[in-house]
Amino acid sequence: MDKISIPIGPHHPLLKEPLSMRIDIAGERVLGGTLRMGYVHRGIEKMTAQRTYVQDVHLIERICGICSHVHTTTFCLGVEKLLGIDVPPRAQYIRALMCELERVHSHLLWLGILSKHVGLETVFMHTWHDRELALDIMEGISGGRVSHAANQIGGVRFDLSPEQEVMVKENIGKLKAQVSGVLGVIENEPALRARTQGVAPVSADLIRDYCVVGPVARASGVDVDLRRDDPWPPYDQLDVNVITRPEGDAWARTLIRALETRESLRLCEVLLRQMPEGPVTVRAPRKVPEGEVVTRSEAPRGEVLYYLRSDGSDKPARLKVRTPTLAVLSLLPEQLSKIHVADIPVVLAGIDLCIACADR
Amino acid sequence: MKAMRKRHSLLDAIIDAVFSRPDTVAYPFGELQLPEGYRGAIVINPENCTGCGLCVRDCPTGALKLEKKSRDEFKLIHYPARCAYCSQCESSCVRGAIGHSNALVGATDRPRELIVVLKDKKEGED
Ligand code: SF4
Ligand code: SF4
Repeated sequence: MDKISIPIGPHHPLLKEPLSMRIDIAGERVLGGTLRMGYVHRGIEKMTAQRTYVQDVHLIERICGICSHVHTTTFCLGVEKLLGIDVPPRAQYIRALMCELERVHSHLLWLGILSKHVGLETVFMHTWHDRELALDIMEGISGGRVSHAANQIGGVRFDLSPEQEVMVKENIGKLKAQVSGVLGVIENEPALRARTQGVAPVSADLIRDYCVVGPVARASGVDVDLRRDDPWPPYDQLDVNVITRPEGDAWARTLIRALETRESLRLCEVLLRQMPEGPVTVRAPRKVPEGEVVTRSEAPRGEVLYYLRSDGSDKPARLKVRTPTLAVLSLLPEQLSKIHVADIPVVLAGIDLCIACADR
Repeated sequence: MKAMRKRHSLLDAIIDAVFSRPDTVAYPFGELQLPEGYRGAIVINPENCTGCGLCVRDCPTGALKLEKKSRDEFKLIHYPARCAYCSQCESSCVRGAIGHSNALVGATDRPRELIVVLKDKKEGED
């Protein structure tokens, strides 16, 4: 059969963000594909060198529209390490609470997108409805749905009032019930299983070869999670259950995210229960001493790494960000070579791309 | 029916949805309830502002401008279209003069609304 090349993107209804692909097919079989990216490159790393550390926190928040909080947290952790200041324990707990809530909303968003791609619009509606609750919690405590502006160098910008704590607890209770419903659907719904089980399996060896991290790695049985492996406080005091599945197919990637959502909600409850009293911020000097530092965090999509070099001024000399999406994207041509045309959306959605993060 | 429910776990959710009320607000016709701490329009308490310019220095988007002639004569201007509603000015102001109200800031086609004079202090005034 003749080979046909289909161009997809950079702007395409299948994609939420710009990415260009050329997929080679012969009949119903996909032979492979090539990728081109960089359409949302904004030069954020360079821009940080022209602004002060205080201003950079807000710029970095805009690297990603979903996991904005984990980016600022990782950046602030690095700056605080160079400054040699200790963040108050309550601020650490609020940071972690926001990180977990962000994971909940990111995973629910993703579950919705996958359901839509496999034709289960009902699940899409329900997960996005539930995600609204997570966003409501974050908006209630930080004042913003997506850009929370929670972090500042030296702590967090806001405290949790007793009423807010009650609101968070109530909404988390509701979310837990709704997420178990979604889990039931993923485990039992025949339509979803038929579209995802056995689709584009990835072996653990391949995951290690391509340095893939996050839920995609865990769905192939690779046991990595920075919340346990390289924790910053308060994760070192928490007992994080790292969930893995051996299958490595699209269904395992779906199930992993639903189970992780449940685990994150449990962690939120633990964080609220153990949250210490006290101040939420300490004064930080504007000038950062000379030096370099690397900090890592577990974002919803996997490891986020920040390298920061300071020359002793109030502006960073160099900031390098590494996000999880690039590694997962490099796996895409490999995954595409084994599937049918109808599976392309499932595979694309399955890896939970965040192009804005990857391009920066 | 029971067997069908077991096979299609979505059925319960669909039945619930038929009998539940909509979750969306018919904005702008319905009332929009924003949380108390929502980071909305920038407001100032002019009595507290001394024109020190700390907020202007830290604003990441250049949405604030201070036109200072002397200690007693200055103008603090806010450009809402540039503002990222990030709350940095509130954190930077040591006198607690500037901050957010929880009013939603919508798009506008009236140029006058794009320049907001927060404080216009003339010599001899308080
Ligand atoms: S609002 Fe505050 S920081 Fe800004 S000029 Fe006035 S006193 Fe200074
Ligand atoms: S909220 Fe942020 S962007 Fe807006 S004026 Fe204040 S500091 Fe500037």
